[in-house]
Amino acid sequence: MLATKLFALMIAVFILAAQARAATLAEVIEGAKKEGSIRGQWGQNSFGGSEGFQEILAGMNKKYKLNLKGQYTPGPDMQRLMLRVIQEAAAGQPASTDVYLGNSQAIFDGLKANLFANTTYDKFIENKPKPEGKFHAIAPAGTHVAFATTVVGIQYNANLVKGSDVPRRMADVLNPKWKGKIASTPYAAGLREFATPDFLGREKMIDYTRKLSKQIAGLMRCGESERITSGEFLMLVFTCGGNDVNVLKRTGAPIGHTVVEEGTVLHMRYAAIPKNSRAPNIAALLVNYLMSAEGQEMLWKYDGMDLHLFPGSQTKRELDALRAAKGKIVTSSPEWLASSKGYAETQKELEAILREGGK
Amino acid sequence: MTEVALRFSGAIRRNAPSPLLSLALIPMAIIFVLVLVMFWISLQKGVFGTPSAIYTLGNYRDVFTDPLLYRVITNTLIFTVTTTLCAMLFGLPIAWLAERSTIPGKTLIYVIMTLGLLIPGIYTAMGWTMLAHPRIGIINRWLVEWFALDAGPINIATPIGMGFVQGLSLSALAFILTAQMFRAMNPSLEEAARVHGMGYNKILWRVTLPLARPGILAAVIYILTIGVATFDIPAILGLGNRVYMLSTFIYLKVHPQGAGLPEYGITGVVGAFMIIVAGLLTLWYGQVLRQGHRFEVVTGKGYRPALIPLGKWSIAAWGFIALYAFISKIVPLLLIAYAALTPYFVTPSYEMMRQLSFGHFYGMDWQLVMRGLTNTALLVFVVPLAVLLLAFSLSWLIVRSPSRLRYALEFGAFLPQALPEVILSIGALLLSLFVLGTTIPLYGTVWLIAIVYVIARLAFATRALNGALLQIHRELEEAAFVAGLSNLRTAWRILFPLIRPTLFSVWIWSALLVYRELTAAVFLAVHDNITLPAVIWSYWYGGNINKASAVTLLMTLVLAPFIFIAWYFGRRSQVSLN
Repeated sequence: MLATKLFALMIAVFILAAQARAATLAEVIEGAKKEGSIRGQWGQNSFGGSEGFQEILAGMNKKYKLNLKGQYTPGPDMQRLMLRVIQEAAAGQPASTDVYLGNSQAIFDGLKANLFANTTYDKFIENKPKPEGKFHAIAPAGTHVAFATTVVGIQYNANLVKGSDVPRRMADVLNPKWKGKIASTPYAAGLREFATPDFLGREKMIDYTRKLSKQIAGLMRCGESERITSGEFLMLVFTCGGNDVNVLKRTGAPIGHTVVEEGTVLHMRYAAIPKNSRAPNIAALLVNYLMSAEGQEMLWKYDGMDLHLFPGSQTKRELDALRAAKGKIVTSSPEWLASSKGYAETQKELEAILREGGK
Repeated sequence: MTEVALRFSGAIRRNAPSPLLSLALIPMAIIFVLVLVMFWISLQKGVFGTPSAIYTLGNYRDVFTDPLLYRVITNTLIFTVTTTLCAMLFGLPIAWLAERSTIPGKTLIYVIMTLGLLIPGIYTAMGWTMLAHPRIGIINRWLVEWFALDAGPINIATPIGMGFVQGLSLSALAFILTAQMFRAMNPSLEEAARVHGMGYNKILWRVTLPLARPGILAAVIYILTIGVATFDIPAILGLGNRVYMLSTFIYLKVHPQGAGLPEYGITGVVGAFMIIVAGLLTLWYGQVLRQGHRFEVVTGKGYRPALIPLGKWSIAAWGFIALYAFISKIVPLLLIAYAALTPYFVTPSYEMMRQLSFGHFYGMDWQLVMRGLTNTALLVFVVPLAVLLLAFSLSWLIVRSPSRLRYALEFGAFLPQALPEVILSIGALLLSLFVLGTTIPLYGTVWLIAIVYVIARLAFATRALNGALLQIHRELEEAAFVAGLSNLRTAWRILFPLIRPTLFSVWIWSALLVYRELTAAVFLAVHDNITLPAVIWSYWYGGNINKASAVTLLMTLVLAPFIFIAWYFGRRSQVSLN
């Protein structure tokens, strides 16, 4: 009797839950049908660029049995695109991109500008990851969703940096043999995060960056991997993430990526729907798709990244090895940035040190 | 009596407002508004158009108290002077050879000089990285091996090295700006000098170059301003080696990458500074124009250009042109082909040559490429026509009008050249977003890009047309006026035929400059208005140099025959005119 009542209760809960989830996802799908088409804009080096967009659209149409149309246009870097969308909203214009995909800093800036629509992601995202400590992939306020993770480390030319030469610790790149042969980024990628109290602290990183600045030959952007594969620079200290190496390695390019023993920063990739989006329902469906198994597989294929919170994630395997070695891991999220006092000022200081050669 | 009539007609002509003035004022009004927007931006921090924006002089303080600025200014001066010298070193003699000598294959010379415009500057920079980079440059590696050196002696990543590379790419502009001047030059003065026993060297220094001075100075000033604002060569060669120019200094300031949104106020400050530079250069050029009548050589009396026979020196001349073509065009083209056909980018080697394939062509987003190509084709058609019309109006007033207003017109026409194009683009973007809005919906359209292009190309077109009009004596127009022709009919029946070669050159060069234009295209691209250079740039900037090269190679191969045809028929019409 009791078992029967419990079973009935479970069925009722399941039906109610299914109805609520299906109803919400169903509403999104219905809304997407009415909207009909989506405009997406992000960099060619992000999320598979134009090919990635076509794959996402095809995947959504197949999964949700739709016939949505889409147009991709390559966009500027994530910060500049965010600025544009904010200004479009302020001017009463529709957003350049119906769904914004970008990094935590850009999302942080968008939140400050109150740009994002509050969306009930929790109700319709089918494949929800569990939180990790204080980090929630789906923002409780419903403004943004983390859908992928990249791991900050050191990129190197695998033909010219081999075996024991591959750096294991931060100090390894200060070896005199690398003087005048390695690079850093003009925006102090990695260094700025390592300088937070959660990691190595400001003073230590200022000192390290001064030494690094005297060691490097110059500066290059993340994504300029041809400058590593050509041998112009033997290493990039530090990267914005190892995802482009994951993709390049498949072509046979002589490139590698390593994480230092001190630890790493997880650069998250987020999706958010601007309030001035022309197709908010398709945008919501796209976010749902990116969180699905098919979407995660597509992201790994085209951009060398997926969300580390999902079991079976490729990125998770890399992190598990680091955790086993007791390395520190910090997750760069908008919430973390909001709590990191002096982050922007420290970054500016590190940038100046790198620009001016360690003086 | 005739002299009185001419003086009287001149007085009437001087006092009557020209109908060309209305045309000339259109771009002036747009430039004035964009400059105002620039100053407005320079006084703001935060996100323009939102409540977070505040008025402050902080941008000026940030720029002028940056200790890096003074090193940047020094580097930029060295770079700019080297660029100009190198551009004139190649462009000027090749222009003289093409227009004043009997060198064979002149159409080919024009094609060689023009072809360079199809090659994005990033490839020229990368080509020279492969050749002369201190660590990986092939030339350095050979020298280290042959002479047992500790390190490569050539360093392309210095202000002088970068100036050399930039100068190579700007030689084409020096060529076209001076070629028309040489074309219109009356050789009778040189013949008179020869009759009096002067040798060719003396004639060159005492007669030819002084006659060519306004055109040469116009080219020098134009190239100087490009050198100050140019971005691609300093970014590829300099930024990576921490050698900063003004353009890369601005780039670092407005692309904070990870610590907040870009602040465009800095570009406004730089623009304000550049206006002063533009003013000084305009004063200098204005002095040259005031003495312009001394260089009028195309008159109502017999005008018959003659060519200097080169004889066996033709071989040496072609050797010089071939050397220039090799280092400035062929090396980058080979690099483009290599990158387009290899799976990933490494230093060329035998192993990589065995992996050549067309894979990148198959994997291209052709829909995106065609969208870009359609927009670019539209701009290439529309913008040069608008530039010619407006530039002719401006040049005629600048060269012919006695009013002091002509100095303002000259300054206004030149100003967009002195301002970094990113400033014009930011101004146009913000104007269209916040002022024109949905009333005049230009934002996100190809027409907004067209307007910025027309403004940006005016300086080049007016320089070229000024030089051509300076060579034509006023008496031709005055005779037409006495005969009863209006200003417009005089322009159509008298001036246009005489300056037709210049008009054709300006048209084709404007079209090619529009084709390769990048800064405004990238800045103003939203969705439907993306251009082909912006598509190529998006691949390159996104780390996919191979796909970028594939598109560039294809477009270069498709367009090269058209360029040859255009110059072939263009030069035939010039010959028939002569």
